[in-house]
Amino acid sequence: MTTQTTSTAGSEVDLRRSLRFGARPGRPSMVTWAVVVVLLAAAPFMLNNYQVSTLSRMLVFGLLAISATLLTGVTGLPTLGQAAYFGVGAYTAAIVARDLTAIGPVQVVLAALMAAVVALFTGTLATRARGVPFLMITLAIGEIAHSAATSWSSITGGSDGLSGIPRVIPLPGMDELRLDGLVYYYVLVMAVIAYLLVRALVRSPFGLVLRGVRDNEPRMRAIGYPTGRYLLAGFTVAGGLAGAAGALLVSVQRFVSPGDVGFSVAAVALLAAIIGGVGSLPGAMAGAALVVLVRDYIGTDLGGHGPLLVGAMFVAVVYLLPQGLAGVGAQVRRRIRWRRTEHPA
Amino acid sequence: MDALATNLVTVVEGVAFGLLLFTLAVGLSLVFGMMDVLNLSHGTLYLVGAYAAYALSDGSWWGLVLAIIVGTAAGVLGGGVLAGMTLPLSKRGHLDQALLTLGVAFIAGELFFEAFGHEVVPTAPPEALRGSVELLGRPYPIYRLVFIAVAGILALAVYIAFERSTLGALVRATVADREMVHAMGVDTRKVLFGVFAVGAALAALGGTLGAPLLAPGPGIDERVLVLSLVVIVIGGLGSVRGALLGGLLIGQVQTLGVSLLPDLAPFLLFGAMLTVLVIKPAGLVPAGGRR
Amino acid sequence: MPARTNITWTRRTRLPLIASCALALTLTACGGSSLGGESDSDDDGPVRIGLLVPQSGIYTALGDDMKNAFEMYVDLNDGELGGREVEIILADEGETADSGQSAATKLIKSDDVHAVTGVVSSAVMNAIKDMVEGDEVPLVGSNASPTDLVDVEYIWRTSYVNDEPGIALGEHVADAVDGPVYLIAADYQAGKDEIEGFKETFLPAGGEVEATVYTPFPGTTNFQPYLAQIQSSDAAAVFAFYAGGAAVDFVKQYDDYGLAGNIPLYAPGFLTEGGVLDAQGSSAEDIYTSMNYSADLDTDVNNEFVEEYVERFDIEPTTYAVASYDAAAVLDQAIAAVDGDLTRESLNEAIGAVGEINSPRGPWRFNEGGTPIQTWYLRQVSEVDGELKNSAIDELGELGD
Repeated sequence: MTTQTTSTAGSEVDLRRSLRFGARPGRPSMVTWAVVVVLLAAAPFMLNNYQVSTLSRMLVFGLLAISATLLTGVTGLPTLGQAAYFGVGAYTAAIVARDLTAIGPVQVVLAALMAAVVALFTGTLATRARGVPFLMITLAIGEIAHSAATSWSSITGGSDGLSGIPRVIPLPGMDELRLDGLVYYYVLVMAVIAYLLVRALVRSPFGLVLRGVRDNEPRMRAIGYPTGRYLLAGFTVAGGLAGAAGALLVSVQRFVSPGDVGFSVAAVALLAAIIGGVGSLPGAMAGAALVVLVRDYIGTDLGGHGPLLVGAMFVAVVYLLPQGLAGVGAQVRRRIRWRRTEHPA
Repeated sequence: MDALATNLVTVVEGVAFGLLLFTLAVGLSLVFGMMDVLNLSHGTLYLVGAYAAYALSDGSWWGLVLAIIVGTAAGVLGGGVLAGMTLPLSKRGHLDQALLTLGVAFIAGELFFEAFGHEVVPTAPPEALRGSVELLGRPYPIYRLVFIAVAGILALAVYIAFERSTLGALVRATVADREMVHAMGVDTRKVLFGVFAVGAALAALGGTLGAPLLAPGPGIDERVLVLSLVVIVIGGLGSVRGALLGGLLIGQVQTLGVSLLPDLAPFLLFGAMLTVLVIKPAGLVPAGGRR
Repeated sequence: MPARTNITWTRRTRLPLIASCALALTLTACGGSSLGGESDSDDDGPVRIGLLVPQSGIYTALGDDMKNAFEMYVDLNDGELGGREVEIILADEGETADSGQSAATKLIKSDDVHAVTGVVSSAVMNAIKDMVEGDEVPLVGSNASPTDLVDVEYIWRTSYVNDEPGIALGEHVADAVDGPVYLIAADYQAGKDEIEGFKETFLPAGGEVEATVYTPFPGTTNFQPYLAQIQSSDAAAVFAFYAGGAAVDFVKQYDDYGLAGNIPLYAPGFLTEGGVLDAQGSSAEDIYTSMNYSADLDTDVNNEFVEEYVERFDIEPTTYAVASYDAAAVLDQAIAAVDGDLTRESLNEAIGAVGEINSPRGPWRFNEGGTPIQTWYLRQVSEVDGELKNSAIDELGELGD
């Protein structure tokens, strides 16, 4: 009985918080943010080159996961197609870097624009469907993009990919970034900017409409919102964000191949979004970090048993963290509250 | 005339491949359409049956029978375990089920490849079915012709069981209104476990019979899963007729299609799916009454 | 009232959780900074060699061959290379450029290896090229070898260049076959390289091409539509490039649909190399392939190598195994030749000065591009003592010069 009452109290708190901030519960506080930012800023001083480049990859895949969660969580359209726009962005950035300019922000903006344009066109097909058909249409878009990346070798370099990409220059007049720690800082700054933009968007009236469509599309339509156009706009924004992430990937690994457009990348984006707790932006970031950590960092040392560990992680997350990483705080809170009520100190 | 014969043989090949896809996909479709569980470890169930065929077939009829029994039984067991694992998640939506079953697929796949090696392992059909016969002046493997017959009978049996029998009506009723069927005194959990077990058994049986056509190995589980998803989405989720139509269509796309349009071959599979979904988002044969 | 305290609790409890997710790395950090200059490998302790081979995914079989052979060489040398104790650091290349690059980054930037060896996939080779050259670490590659990998200073290959198996075979097929040849290959870079290589020598020798077809890769398991086209064409022979699982499917179906025995099949040696040959069984009989090695070469070095290898691993060595074995031999010679401190730089210079390697495949040495000058063999699949094997039946001349 006691747990019953406390959990009711908990949902009251959640409700108040969501009313105040207009978002789902489980959002980290200012203190948490400050600590995370300080730690992320200090990381290059504590970590070696490999660890820092892994951290850069976490940020890149974190942005991709946020783009997936924009559709999957915020808009309610589960997607397996974000790798397509990620790839469009990555190839655009690689070609811009090679033939036009090594200035990073230019690459990111052009990559995001290109990806958004492609997302706008493909999105008109995809947003006609909902639920599983939507999932499968996005899967098809992703697979067709992968085939195109492999076949169109005059542009993409075929299955062997594009290499020979110059090191990134963060701003005009600056030197190219030779050290992994500095590349990380560049990616961090760009990721933070992108994150803040997306956050502002999600909290804007536009984001509110998207969540409304997720929760009850017929009602939103009845109120007079052209829901189809809102979804297409959301799809385009998510595509642009994935494209920006692709551009950052190119700055980190200075290489792009059809593998970056593949099913596994799309799956990682969706899975990271689910692991994070659907709809939570910090959760998606953390989910991507966890997947990259387990798959790329620990996995390479396991003598080929990486997939086993990844599989075990998925199973564990489903049973142990029903609301994903974003729900961890609430879960612990509940546990503590339960203890406090049971054994008052 | 020669080109026509060439293409006709290719059409026959497409039928064989299409029926294989049907046996793989129909279980996924039933489990998804009737129980609303998205099972991404479906490809692993194919591996169960195919590795049983690899390990137990010795070229004799008895070897094949043994492989079918063991493979199907293992499939039933696997389906039961998956049903038990996904039951607590029934209120949490498809994404959590997807994450769980994909995790199971990774773990099970890894264990299989540890046990059977990391190479694709071929399975020969029973001695009596090896070799070729003349078909339109071309040699054609006997096993594939027999497979067409067996899989055709299987398709008919599944169709009758699910769409024409009382038992099938019960299953469909359970999906439509679980509370009502429960109130009538039926243990609905048994029905759910039953559908999952039968769906899994069909995939495993497809693996045992299909091993000589599509040998098990790393990556094959993912491939089977993706093909099955394509088939059931094209056909319509939860529809046996849809799975058959989708399987036969994709079978032709993957054989006659690449033969006529070799340059577009990499795009055909998903291009076909995209076309169908854009025109009919619910698939070619939507399951009656349901979304 | 309780609500307020709860929020305070929330903030305190959530903080370490989020932080630990984002920075789990910190816990495993062994210190060091990514903002300093180049890390220089120290000279005390064993020589650290990074062995980058697939241990998961579809290329695992190749990875196992390469790992086994490299470790066998070191083991036969009492755990030493060039008189110095060796520490082999394994990393899983996986299946994609992504996983391979990540593993290579670990070896080069975290484990601080003196040299890297292995690398199966061409995509991985391209993905790590800039890092290897930028960090100036010698890479003695033992398989992947894209044709466009030129102007490199730190990358060496003990295998071949991707188009060489095709180049080696072209002239022979033009002479041996009376009529046009049908070219078919998996649709990725290696397939295109082999076809181009083949045409390079086949066309000038008077060969005639019936058609060139690329099949989607990966994903093609059903070759009947293509085989039917070949059957109804005027092709007098087929040249095909496939490896791994696709090679098994192609060869079995080539037999199933009645082409085997009617239309001779020529291929780069991967079609029938190693485990795939067992899987193909009698379907593979009489296929002609070109390779820089054949396990039945009758030389003292090879006989000894094969005997030892078979005893240890119970399978015949493949060209993948030999290339990796030779990579160990190259490092052995180079480390012994280093004068003074053993650094990445001095080791790379020494590799450049390595002379002839007395390999199981026959003697070879590096050319200016860092790939082998070696003899190529024509092999035929035939039954020897009740087992199907690749038998060398002719020499196809020397390539790489």
